[in-house]
Amino acid sequence: MTTRAHTDENAPERDAQPTTDESKTDSAGDADTDPLVTADEIDFAYGTVSVLENVSVAIKPARITALIGPNGVGKTTLLRALAGLASPTAGSISYDGPDTVRPIGYLPQNPAFRPGFTALETLEFYASLVGEDDPHARLERVGLAAAADRRVEALSGGMTQLLGIAQATIGDPPLIALDEPASGLDPGMTTHVFEVATELAATGTAVLLTSHDLDLVERTADEVIFLDDGGVADQGSPSALSDRYEADSLWETYERALTGDLHTIHVRGDSP
Amino acid sequence: MSQPTSAQTDTKPSGVAQIARVVDRERRTLARTRTFVILGVGFAAIVLGLAWSSGGTSGGYVPTVVGLLTPLELLVPVLAVAFGYRAITGDAERGELDVLSTYPIGAHHHVLGVYLGRAIGLLVVVFVSLLLVAIAIVFLRTEPVGWYASHASTDSPILFARFTLLTAFFALTILAIAIAVSAVAREARTVIVLAVTALVVVLVGLDLALVYGFASGIIGDGSLLHAIAFSPLSAYRGLVFESVVITAAGTGPQTASVPSSVFGLLVWTVGSLVVATLATKR
Repeated sequence: MTTRAHTDENAPERDAQPTTDESKTDSAGDADTDPLVTADEIDFAYGTVSVLENVSVAIKPARITALIGPNGVGKTTLLRALAGLASPTAGSISYDGPDTVRPIGYLPQNPAFRPGFTALETLEFYASLVGEDDPHARLERVGLAAAADRRVEALSGGMTQLLGIAQATIGDPPLIALDEPASGLDPGMTTHVFEVATELAATGTAVLLTSHDLDLVERTADEVIFLDDGGVADQGSPSALSDRYEADSLWETYERALTGDLHTIHVRGDSP
Repeated sequence: MSQPTSAQTDTKPSGVAQIARVVDRERRTLARTRTFVILGVGFAAIVLGLAWSSGGTSGGYVPTVVGLLTPLELLVPVLAVAFGYRAITGDAERGELDVLSTYPIGAHHHVLGVYLGRAIGLLVVVFVSLLLVAIAIVFLRTEPVGWYASHASTDSPILFARFTLLTAFFALTILAIAIAVSAVAREARTVIVLAVTALVVVLVGLDLALVYGFASGIIGDGSLLHAIAFSPLSAYRGLVFESVVITAAGTGPQTASVPSSVFGLLVWTVGSLVVATLATKR
């Protein structure tokens, strides 16, 4: 199923507002701000394999938007397209944010860094590309200052993830795209990563992330986009979605919103 | 958590400054990677050993050049490819190329920075190796014997310095090709296959193509001297003969066109960097 995103093109232009409790409980908050990035009826295909069809979504500032869906449904593809790292085969993606030195920050799935450099040296390099001179502040921001002088190959998975998030924040981009930022992390580190994302959104940053941790998404995301069968199955705030599907949790909502067997990998593009 | 303050300036660094940062990153990568250190020491040892074992060092500068030319035609491309073939592929595999594309640095600045950074390490190895050979010649040189005895007066360190510069030029050309391979491949398995293929093409393929072209009449007698500039290896060999060996000998048939050979190496260098830039933009 493919649906259009609930975009509000006539919403008045306002300054980005920090995330509020109200915004998490009422999707009417969508009208508060204009989208930062808008995907309009995009298709995406790898050769003859269609991954996304007619997808329209809008990413707004000061909010955490979570892309949710089964493995292989196109979450990473959509996130990369919205981050400007991949061009859709049809449709358009527009960035309507401020003109800054770095409009979009990006954390890849399973981030890795050039070996032989410390965490601080790694951030120093990236920071120098945008004219920043205090990369240590970035490490402090994600709670990694104690590992500043540790070589990246000696960092744990969680530390590497945090370093990747610190990298993504360099230049204070209005949009930060995090591809499974908590992948492979223990519960404590996972919670910390989502706390960092929440604090980024509180400063006005639009945080776009993919995740399979529905419990944390329910607690932290302002907007959830369910992807299914190449399109957007539904979207809204966690509470609005729960109300819509008369569900008690995001997991229950997920089960009811998505079609097909959730215990089976669906492969698109092979059938005629 | 608070927003970092005063950490950012509103203006992005100039292209030159960004290139300098990438150069520094590559330079430090080379210095901190044991493989490159071992590679450099090994190259220097082999070159010094070859020069000594061939007896060239006792014969003088030009006999040493003659003795080293053929081995260096093989060793320099291998060294240059080793220095460059994973330079961009490594970043692509780690996802850092995608990350870099979210920063305000152009692909041409990135590629140029990678090339210059790797070039610094490569040039250090080439210059130090040949400097050691030159020092060995100073201490081991005896009275010239054989063919070169009649031209002892032209056996000058300046000719050896010229040979060193031409070897460095050749190394930089092959490094550019290796960087292009690295940018095109993007994956470890692909880059190894492409790097080996590039080596075979440079070391054998292009020379064979020239031989075929000459044998089949596609390349006429009059254009042969210019046509060999098509191959970086032949261009380098021709430049060494024209600028060092024949100069020392004082006479001999023309073996290459110096302008065409220089132009050929430049085209390969610039062309490869353009290919690397276009591939990095993908």
